[in-house]
Amino acid sequence: MRNPLTVLRRRLSKHRELRADGGTASQAGSILDRDSVRSAPFWLPPFLLVGLFIYGAIIWNIVLSLTNFQGLGSPDYTALDFENYVIAFFGGTPSWSELTVSPIWNSAWNTVVLMVSFSVVCLALGLVLAILVDQEIRFENTFRTIYLLPMSLSFVVTAKFWLYMYNVETGLVNLLLGSVGVGPVEIVQNPDLKLAAVAFALIWQFSGYAMIVYLAGLRAIPTSHFEAARVDGASTLRMYWRVIIPQLRTATVSALVVLTVFSLKAFDFLFSMYGGYQPGPSADILATRMVREAYANGNWAYGSAIAVILFLMALAIVTPYIYSQYKRGEL
Amino acid sequence: MSEHESTLSRRTVLTTTSAAAIAGLAGCSSGGGNGGGDGGSGGNELELLHAWSSGDGNAAIEALIEGFQEEHPDVEFAEEPVDGAARSNLDQVVLNKLQANDPPSTFQLWPGKNLENYDGAYEDIEGDVWNDDLKENYLAGPQEQAQYDGTYVTVPLNIHRINNLFYNTAVVEEAGVDPESFETAADVAAACETIASETDAVPFAQQTSGAWSTVQLWETILLGQAGIDGYEAFINGNGDSAAVESALEAVIDLSDYYPGDSSSISFTEANTMVMDGDAAFIHQGDWAAGAYSGADDFNYGEDWNQVTYPGTSGNYLLNMDSFPYMANNPSPEATRQFLSYCGSAEGQVLFNAEKGSIPPRSDADVSALNTFQQDQYDDFNAADNQPPSIQHGLAVAPGIRTNILNAFSGFLEDYDAAATAEALIGAFN
Repeated sequence: MRNPLTVLRRRLSKHRELRADGGTASQAGSILDRDSVRSAPFWLPPFLLVGLFIYGAIIWNIVLSLTNFQGLGSPDYTALDFENYVIAFFGGTPSWSELTVSPIWNSAWNTVVLMVSFSVVCLALGLVLAILVDQEIRFENTFRTIYLLPMSLSFVVTAKFWLYMYNVETGLVNLLLGSVGVGPVEIVQNPDLKLAAVAFALIWQFSGYAMIVYLAGLRAIPTSHFEAARVDGASTLRMYWRVIIPQLRTATVSALVVLTVFSLKAFDFLFSMYGGYQPGPSADILATRMVREAYANGNWAYGSAIAVILFLMALAIVTPYIYSQYKRGEL
Repeated sequence: MSEHESTLSRRTVLTTTSAAAIAGLAGCSSGGGNGGGDGGSGGNELELLHAWSSGDGNAAIEALIEGFQEEHPDVEFAEEPVDGAARSNLDQVVLNKLQANDPPSTFQLWPGKNLENYDGAYEDIEGDVWNDDLKENYLAGPQEQAQYDGTYVTVPLNIHRINNLFYNTAVVEEAGVDPESFETAADVAAACETIASETDAVPFAQQTSGAWSTVQLWETILLGQAGIDGYEAFINGNGDSAAVESALEAVIDLSDYYPGDSSSISFTEANTMVMDGDAAFIHQGDWAAGAYSGADDFNYGEDWNQVTYPGTSGNYLLNMDSFPYMANNPSPEATRQFLSYCGSAEGQVLFNAEKGSIPPRSDADVSALNTFQQDQYDDFNAADNQPPSIQHGLAVAPGIRTNILNAFSGFLEDYDAAATAEALIGAFN
């Protein structure tokens, strides 16, 4: 079978000379001989698909957030303005609704608190677990599996599970608190503890993931680094702090990116825990607010604006790390 | 390494990759095409979307379709239960389909103000479906809920009642309280106090992890305290904030008698407490009774009973499902036939016998329903008013309902009656 592409290429570049070393002399005039073009079948389809379905969708969403799209029908792209963002930050009665819309500060703040506390604690806990598991202990694989297992559960399962754990009368958390003389404490609907309870459950679920990433990072560090530090008389703490942890930057970044995304996905968790997208003001995050605006109220454009804000927040957290990695040439 | 060989293998890989890519793209487009084709093809294939994918709801819709097909064997169904968390998932599927200009023939929909969700997507069915027979035999309340801006667009199929107070007879008798004698919401709280001191049972089974049960309870108490006029004033946006706050205070009084772990349990668990004799009262829609009739040795009138929620007698607080007629209907004739059947006493009895609710028509022969349903049906026909439920989408537009649910999700955190009352009155602005 003759490949039509090859035939075409031969026709376009008629003069192909074999060099003495066996390679082909490159022809400046032939576009099709360039590496980028010759490899196009490999990079072009994913490039187009990702471009269309990810970046295309993001751009479309941004444009949508500038319209007044509400209810059924189709958005009017001729009149674009920033009204939805003004409403999002200052509240008020938008032109597309008769109802007053409250600003998003509350859910934005909750989102930041959840995202930061969850990611930081998850990373710290994951690191400690990874260092412990890395001590050539017995049953290492078993421990690794135990720590990682919660991650394989879906949010629906873990939300129902923690609803049970937080039960005031029979939940394990309150039994433990009771054994040290505290409580019983209302957790699920307690405005002071709600968000912390959600963060705690998510940390339980995902610190195992951080552990695996760190463990891979630790294993990649040559044993000689540990030995050199020991020979120089560094204590264990000092060795990890000055020698080992600085080498885990890449692992931190990749875990952080994934964890941030997971914390944005806490929507599923809240949805299952509170039986809908009304988790209450102290646990309301941008994701629940966004779905409420879009699907309960049909305020599509406003929902898109919240989605854009959420997107920018995620970028704001991830970008500095990615950039510093890039500058260090580690990405 | 041989240059020739490497070119060959690269060529092979290249061919394979592009073929795969093209096949993948073709797969995408043909997938999309199929989706569109289903909607458009077959003038007699009725596309019916609903969320009754399991349990009594599924048995009910199957009975309805079976009954319909006996009369119209030529109509085929592209019936699609939309799985997942009941209705919210279904709404998303329908919204997406409508935005793609691919409306279903009809779908499970709360009527009333909730119809605003699909503003402009309905067609007037007064005359051919909503004929004189239907207009004569639907009571005023359900009939009003079938209209959007004064136009008949949907056919209510069943009614669940929101203002019942169910109780476990044995527990109530042990405490020596008589629910039949209750006249106000305060009497319920007083009885709860007696039950708490006289028995080991939880007085008032309730779940508070989601806001919906509390919204139902509050709207029932508001209807009882403020009367039908006060209730209607509220749902029309002219509510009296003192009345709203007083109903919230009554909910707070009752919350003292909830199970200690109400925030961690579901409605099913709360209801099971009543069935097991671990709780005395539960306020719920009458689907709670569906669980009782499925249980062994838990019989209506003997082991459990119900009263109209104290203060709300003469009112039948409505929760309904309906089937609307969608514009650009993929199966115009078949959909009209089906909706007419949904509006018939025969179809409604078939459906409701399985669902545990009652027919909205006042002339149905309910002998096929169970005793509890028959009693409810008598209450319904004798009711002076059939006000719409707020929680269940009939009474207020979707945006206002979201505001009300927001207010209650906050109420569950701090039980601040004054702040919640303000938020509830403000929900309409």
